[in-house]
Amino acid sequence: MMVFPFMLLFAVFFLYPIASGLFYSFHDWNATTSTRFVGLGNYQRILASRDFEKAMWNLGKYIAITVPLGISVAFGLALLVNSFKGFWSNIFRSAFFLPVVLPAFLAATVWRWIYTPNFGLLNMILGWFGMGSINFLNDTGTMLYAAIAVDVWVSAGFNMVIILAGLKNIPKDYYEAARLDGASRLQQVRYITIPMLYPVLFFVTTYGFISALQVFDVPWLLTGSSFASYGGRQGALLFPVMDMMGRGFGSLRFGQAAAYGFILTAIIMLFTAAMFALRRKGYDR
Amino acid sequence: MTAEAITAYSNPARAVALPFSGWALLKWITAACIAIVAVFPIWWMVNVVFAEPGTPVSLNPRLYPTSFSAGISKILMIMQETDYMKAYYVSVAYSLLTIAGVLIIGSMAAFEFALFEFPGKRILFATVMLSLMVPTAVTIIPTYLLTASLGWLNTMQGLVVPGLASAFGLFMLIQFMKTIPRDMIEAARLDGASHFQLYRYIALPLSKNALVTLAILTFMKTWGNFMWPLIVAPSPELYTVGQVVGLFNSPYSHQTVDIVMTANLLAALPPLLFFLIFQRKIVEGIAMSGSKG
Amino acid sequence: MAQLEITNVSKSYGAVNVLKNINLEISSGEFVVFVGPSGCGKSTLLRMISGLEDIGTGQIRLNGQVVNAVDPARRGVAMVFQSYALYPHMTAFENMAFSLMIAKEKKARIKEKVERAANILRLEHLLQRRPGELSGGQKQRVAIGRAIVREPKVFLFDEPLSNLDTELRVQMRAELIQLHDKLKTTMIYVTHDQVEAMTLADKMVVMHGGVIQQCGRPLDLYDDPANKFVAGFIGSPRMNFMDADVARVESDHITLAVTGALKQFDLPFRGFDSSLRKVQVGIRTEYVGLSEDADSAVSLPATVAFVEELGDVTYMHTDLPNGERLVVRSNGGRYRGGKECVAQLDTTGILLFDEAGERIRSAS
Ligand SMILES: Nc1ncnc2c1ncn2[C@@H]1O[C@H](COP(=O)(O)OP(=O)(O)OP(=O)(O)O)[C@@H](O)[C@H]1O
Ligand SMILES: [Mg+2]
Repeated sequence: MMVFPFMLLFAVFFLYPIASGLFYSFHDWNATTSTRFVGLGNYQRILASRDFEKAMWNLGKYIAITVPLGISVAFGLALLVNSFKGFWSNIFRSAFFLPVVLPAFLAATVWRWIYTPNFGLLNMILGWFGMGSINFLNDTGTMLYAAIAVDVWVSAGFNMVIILAGLKNIPKDYYEAARLDGASRLQQVRYITIPMLYPVLFFVTTYGFISALQVFDVPWLLTGSSFASYGGRQGALLFPVMDMMGRGFGSLRFGQAAAYGFILTAIIMLFTAAMFALRRKGYDR
Repeated sequence: MTAEAITAYSNPARAVALPFSGWALLKWITAACIAIVAVFPIWWMVNVVFAEPGTPVSLNPRLYPTSFSAGISKILMIMQETDYMKAYYVSVAYSLLTIAGVLIIGSMAAFEFALFEFPGKRILFATVMLSLMVPTAVTIIPTYLLTASLGWLNTMQGLVVPGLASAFGLFMLIQFMKTIPRDMIEAARLDGASHFQLYRYIALPLSKNALVTLAILTFMKTWGNFMWPLIVAPSPELYTVGQVVGLFNSPYSHQTVDIVMTANLLAALPPLLFFLIFQRKIVEGIAMSGSKG
Repeated sequence: MAQLEITNVSKSYGAVNVLKNINLEISSGEFVVFVGPSGCGKSTLLRMISGLEDIGTGQIRLNGQVVNAVDPARRGVAMVFQSYALYPHMTAFENMAFSLMIAKEKKARIKEKVERAANILRLEHLLQRRPGELSGGQKQRVAIGRAIVREPKVFLFDEPLSNLDTELRVQMRAELIQLHDKLKTTMIYVTHDQVEAMTLADKMVVMHGGVIQQCGRPLDLYDDPANKFVAGFIGSPRMNFMDADVARVESDHITLAVTGALKQFDLPFRGFDSSLRKVQVGIRTEYVGLSEDADSAVSLPATVAFVEELGDVTYMHTDLPNGERLVVRSNGGRYRGGKECVAQLDTTGILLFDEAGERIRSAS
């Protein structure tokens, strides 16, 4: 049976970790001393902690902006690329896609330099317009938006490509029929493109939610980038996965970290289920 | 085109011949601006590397490269005086081993799943697909603990092996292999091919496209993987490019911006090259995973 | 001598019986055609012979040996698929050589065998092309070549021509007949096209609903069908069927009253089962005309529904007063308009079926 190697690895490195994670989540464990059963203690501790509250609050704000913004941008880019023909369509697609190719850690570090106070690129440009230097990554008022900008910059091209594929699958006939019916360009987008793209947009949105809920690389690298220091000033860029990793590897409370993972999973599952329920409702109408 | 001509006729106000309509002009400007925003940070990175170090920004805003030799000497300096080369080697090994493993293990399993019936197939498939929904967050810590208890911390196998059972890769390959006609498999069976020969001579060559796409996507993912190497291989011996770049960038680093950007540029090079060569495949692969997911 | 014997073979998928108690003998060198409507189980039977499908119950013997448990590759059969199933990543040569390569034949031997097959099929100049660069007919020939190379005891074809256009189909049909003459190997051929079956077969096996309805030489089946299904399936246009009452039964003839006919008529018949009161009358279109002298034959007033004019023949599709359809054939005549007509049945062409559709034959 040639499925065996896959299933073995899958069982050992996926199923077993989940099971053992569940076990750890009910225990107090720091990876060296023996475990102690604490029931739901880990879960209670997390839910009551200030960091959790802060991380969830940040996450809420972050998602509320990133997901709609990211998808609108991606959709706009896809329409834009699609409106060009041949050579230029390819050129713009490649250009818009380029940031996706960069590993997230690189995108974050490059942007970090762009955000640098005084001689960073962005502040330099602002300087041309006579504005004072802003410490984007250390000012609690701008940190979150700075991270969102990087995120959109990184992910828009990815979603664009998916949406573009969806656009290409819409038969030309519909547009021609609509044009004969006298629909304007905007009306064509509204009454043909968006409804026909519904499944693709649904996928992109759901996937966007799921990955936004797990945001890690970018804020980690925009802030301290170590288990000793992360999340930035006043935890303005503290997100749940960072908090979880910090509890595990920073303070070696692996039981709590495992419990954190399950809380996050529950949230993600809830979101996904909600999305699917919404979609069903959308179909009924 | 025809329809546009008709509009032009029926609407005399627009019949004035413009080389560009307002719409098109706007479109071009928007596209160009966005393209600049998308590409400029990378371009800027190149310029910082290929510029004389120490020139103040006010004199050289780094909108274009100014000194080729300075860039080369920075690259040489990084390669010779830091452990960057070693990190490069680790990252390449990590990526190649992962690609090889994912492709071999995944294609074998996909072959069985896509083309044959076996007891428990449905439940196994459902489990694997469900795992696509499970966030990394929930498995990363227990997987780390397991890897640690296997004694695999700071080893190559610790980096590679836990990531080999890629549910995404399996799904993609299954989708592809499902399109191999049943007749073709049966013809080969009548031709005397054994189970393994079916895999080797029919399924594998026919899935070449999907395998290449998966290899590229796996490369992109592994090269850019930051979190897993960070926790499972924290020793300098096994630093990946990502970790080294992270160190160079950290607020406590003593490197100057030139050196940091050189490190960044070198880290970006393989994926950028891949992109230039395999653009079509990458884009198709992502589009496919989107439309099938 | 029977080369292939199929005894009491049945097959079901879950609760569905796809093949019911099939018995068939095929002699060495015969060209056998399985024919029947879609879904009747032809492919399933063929695939059971090939070994690609498990044999449910019953036995299949090849050259006297039971092959139920023999691996498909070792049965000595080769199959040509409807989709050709050529390996797209291999050239025509490699496609044909594949089975030999698997069997670890020597390079030179492989080359020789493939070239011989290519010669028979006039494929020499195409050997280095991949399937994507071949036309439909060429692909089909490569697929046949792949079968020939294996020197099988039995060739199996599953609707090999159905992806080709009409003209090519006729041409490939002729080539297959020549190939069979040349190789003299047993061939089993599946099709749902009765014309194809009639032209190719030494022996035709008509299937319906998982049951063999009748088997024999094509013209025997045409002239002497065993039941209403076979009678209706073979021949184009379809045989006409009409209800009739049995008015009288004598020792050497019976008197029938066809529903809608102007008068009763006598039909020579021996040993009629006098308990039967109703029968079905089957009559091919060539025995139905529009003659004016109404005395000798049986006349049926009918209304013309539509007319197919093919030049040499004209088929008039008419409706009888009870709503049944009757197709009238007229050789060389032209339709001159008009709705009402009187159809004439030549009673020598009449076949009788009981109400279950089984043929009622006269005792000779
Ligand atoms: N794997 C299967 N599972 C369930 N039912 C099947 C399977 N294969 C075939 N059947 C059923 O068996 C019956 C016979 O199928 P078969 O393929 O032999 O038909 P056929 O005579 O070749 O028809 P066609 O002319 O359309 O090819 C059909 O009703 C089909 O639905
Ligand atoms: Mg069939």
